[in-house]
Amino acid sequence: MMGRPATRDERYVAWALWTLAFVALWLTESAVGYTRDESVYFAAAEGYAGWFRQLFHSPAKALTDAAIVRAWDYNHEHPVLMKTLFGLSHLLFHDTLGWMRSATAFRLPAFALAALVPALSFLFGSALYGRTAGLFAALAFMLVPRQYFNAELACFDLPVAALWLLVVYCFWRALEDTRWGIACGVAFGLALATKHNALFLPFVLTPFALWRAWTASEGEPEARAWLLRFVGVFSAVAVFYGLLVLSLGGGEGFQKKFLLLSPHTLLFAGLAAGGAWTLKGLEKVSAPVTRALVPVAAMAVLGPVIFYLHWPYLWHQPVDRTAWYLAFHAKHNHYAWFYLGTLLREPPFPLSYVLVKTALTVPTSLFAPMVTGFVALAARGVLGQLERTRAWVRPLTMAEVLVGANAVTSILIISHPQVPHFGGVKHWFPSMVFLGLLAGQAVSRGCGALVERLKERWPSLPGVAVVTGVFALLLAPALVYSARVFPYGTAAYSELAGGAAGAATLGMQRQFWSSHVTGVLPWINEHAKPGARLFLHEVHGGSFRDYQRNGMLRPDLRAVGSPFDADIVAYQYHQEFREYEFQTWQSFGTRTPATGLYLDETPQVVVYVRPESR
Amino acid sequence: MLVALLALLFHLRLPGKLPSEASYRAVAERLQAEARPGDAVLLFPWWAERARLFLPPSLPVYGYLGSDRDDLSAHPRVWVLGQPELPRSDEDAFLASFLPERRAVGTATHEGPLSLALYENGRHRPRRFNAADLVSRARVYLESDDGARQPCPFDGTAHRCPGPGNVYVAREWHEILYEPRRCLWMPAPGGARRLVAELDGVPGDVGLRLEGGIIFEYAFPRDAQLTPAVLGVDDAASGARLLEVAIAPGQEGVKKSEVHLPPGEARTVKVWVRSQNPDRRAVCLDVLAVEPAVGVKG
Repeated sequence: MMGRPATRDERYVAWALWTLAFVALWLTESAVGYTRDESVYFAAAEGYAGWFRQLFHSPAKALTDAAIVRAWDYNHEHPVLMKTLFGLSHLLFHDTLGWMRSATAFRLPAFALAALVPALSFLFGSALYGRTAGLFAALAFMLVPRQYFNAELACFDLPVAALWLLVVYCFWRALEDTRWGIACGVAFGLALATKHNALFLPFVLTPFALWRAWTASEGEPEARAWLLRFVGVFSAVAVFYGLLVLSLGGGEGFQKKFLLLSPHTLLFAGLAAGGAWTLKGLEKVSAPVTRALVPVAAMAVLGPVIFYLHWPYLWHQPVDRTAWYLAFHAKHNHYAWFYLGTLLREPPFPLSYVLVKTALTVPTSLFAPMVTGFVALAARGVLGQLERTRAWVRPLTMAEVLVGANAVTSILIISHPQVPHFGGVKHWFPSMVFLGLLAGQAVSRGCGALVERLKERWPSLPGVAVVTGVFALLLAPALVYSARVFPYGTAAYSELAGGAAGAATLGMQRQFWSSHVTGVLPWINEHAKPGARLFLHEVHGGSFRDYQRNGMLRPDLRAVGSPFDADIVAYQYHQEFREYEFQTWQSFGTRTPATGLYLDETPQVVVYVRPESR
Repeated sequence: MLVALLALLFHLRLPGKLPSEASYRAVAERLQAEARPGDAVLLFPWWAERARLFLPPSLPVYGYLGSDRDDLSAHPRVWVLGQPELPRSDEDAFLASFLPERRAVGTATHEGPLSLALYENGRHRPRRFNAADLVSRARVYLESDDGARQPCPFDGTAHRCPGPGNVYVAREWHEILYEPRRCLWMPAPGGARRLVAELDGVPGDVGLRLEGGIIFEYAFPRDAQLTPAVLGVDDAASGARLLEVAIAPGQEGVKKSEVHLPPGEARTVKVWVRSQNPDRRAVCLDVLAVEPAVGVKG
């Protein structure tokens, strides 16, 4: 496995893809409603931006823990890289320059990160499997409706998928250029600063680094010795940390004694120094082994440092607040989730959930090449292990295994029956990026075979015509499906599911996150009496404010928290929330809705009006 | 590529399978003209509730997860409003649940992709008494172990008891395992006390039926501190226990129990609910006096 730099043409295409994705997201975002989380992040971002103002005007005051907590305590369940970017973008483009509406300004950095996915997919796919594969992977990713929908949001799921891909890309490039190893560490730090998914990256990448270092040091005893020293340093630090935990009476004691000057920080410094020392030694004897290990050392050192530095909330109390953050995600709530006719409320969740949900949501014409690409990879892996069948297949390269491993990592993590299963498909987006690459490879090979066959009959047939035709055929259903369901991304179900209607019959979650309320806001604006009280079920109070702030909801309308206090109710169809609709029947004395948002007949948002207020 | 072609075909054909407003209005007009008092509409597939926008408000519309199997025993006739052409609509499976003890009346009509068929409901059980209809005339009180009573006076909408604001008796819409039910809200008051509603006029020679459950999300938890909700019906004069149902924590759905009352004078019954720990024991129930199912004629 060797990385390779992108050619000039590839860089141009990658930039074009980034621009295309960024512009498409920007042009279409105004139709997308504000999800429950997004309005929290809007508010957090605005608060964080306020702190930067304070930092500019009175830095000494801003840097006190009291000022930091005041500004950064809100939504400290997540690191702040993206929220800070949202806030600064809002401060610049909305507050200062007034170039765009509030929500667009918040979302702009998310578009920039999401647009990295097609660009990097193209670069990585082109280098590994050829440009046809890279281009297909890039286009296919953005034509999965749920992925496009999430790319529109000022949230973290697409950004962390983009950064996951960037880390892997840097890791792979580091095999031919040491500087990319440092970049890998920086990208990992940024990924950690985006969302906790990134914590799993070292576990995926380190085995590949060691594999590469081991094979590259074969026949070079000195390099092998330095490799073992490198491993020894990391293992020793891990063992010492383990002993420290035990000697301090467990995690709590470890946390309490973790001070600036403590064995804990000393061990970290030792790791950095030991890593640097062994890499210096290695550099003199083997460049390939050094290049393989630099990303590991960079991730180990730069990751935590960037994570700490990017988050002011950690500056005065790094240990306790990081521990709280990690514990929050380790014990995350389970939200009710409707799946194949059953309301899942608590673990254990079905092992097949992630696979089934992916199959039922990714456009089938894109899902099929993902499956064939992955199955071909796995089959080659298995057949290559057996002596009798080894000759039948090309041996897998480390790069191919790297893509395969990343394609399954997030899926395997979320498939664990004890892991929360809400949130549709967004929690395994990092896998989808790599499945897209495998789909690209499958399509590219298919195109190659087709061109060969067709050229037997029509020798002058240009290959690009065949590829264009195949792309058009495979991408057209996804494009139609994307256009049909937009902007209601959490209701997107594939042809295999039978669309939204088929999924409703299968008993799948109709939608979630409340953003589909945009489908009924124009009706409410037109029909609500002045000052009417609205119960927008499931819509976060912040989202209500944001709809008004962005001109999507009349400013005179007032939010209330129950159907009993409301003149108009917009009920979001969730299987677990049926009681709210029946409370509305009770309160309004009618079971007849006034209007609603129905996608392919499936109720998404149902609107009731109190009879006397019509 | 075949998959892509099929996918494209799916998208091209889908719009033709979706009903227009005009189709719904035509169905609504027919129901307005032909439906009789007591009729109901059942949706197939169960989730296709857009129909509610158009159908006459006077006509009860049933469509919830599990409604295919609902006896709809209050209704002598049922109109099935179906969309058999929708993706994954399985009409055979629907009919396998729906058809037993029912008979089609005439032939189904079609308005675009909508189908409308009338059925005689052999599972209909004529009502002779429904506690929820008579709730305003009930005598409601909290009753202690020793028989002491604290009255819950009727304020025009509900019988409100002293203590926590949710302890009252009224007819309300609630969800029990996805099913909308207009039932008697009778939450357990806690401790050894029972919440009691005394109702007169239960006739003899009928099936006395108790149906009840814990509403909304409160049924699901199985926390150790939760206690079973016990609901029952006693004969007020003799004190004899006629019906009793216990709903353990974690038990979802409507629990049912029935006893045949001997012929004789109309009697007064005490409908009651209790649970040691009132937390999440939010009971909604029905007490009905019903005749046997009418069955299918011919």
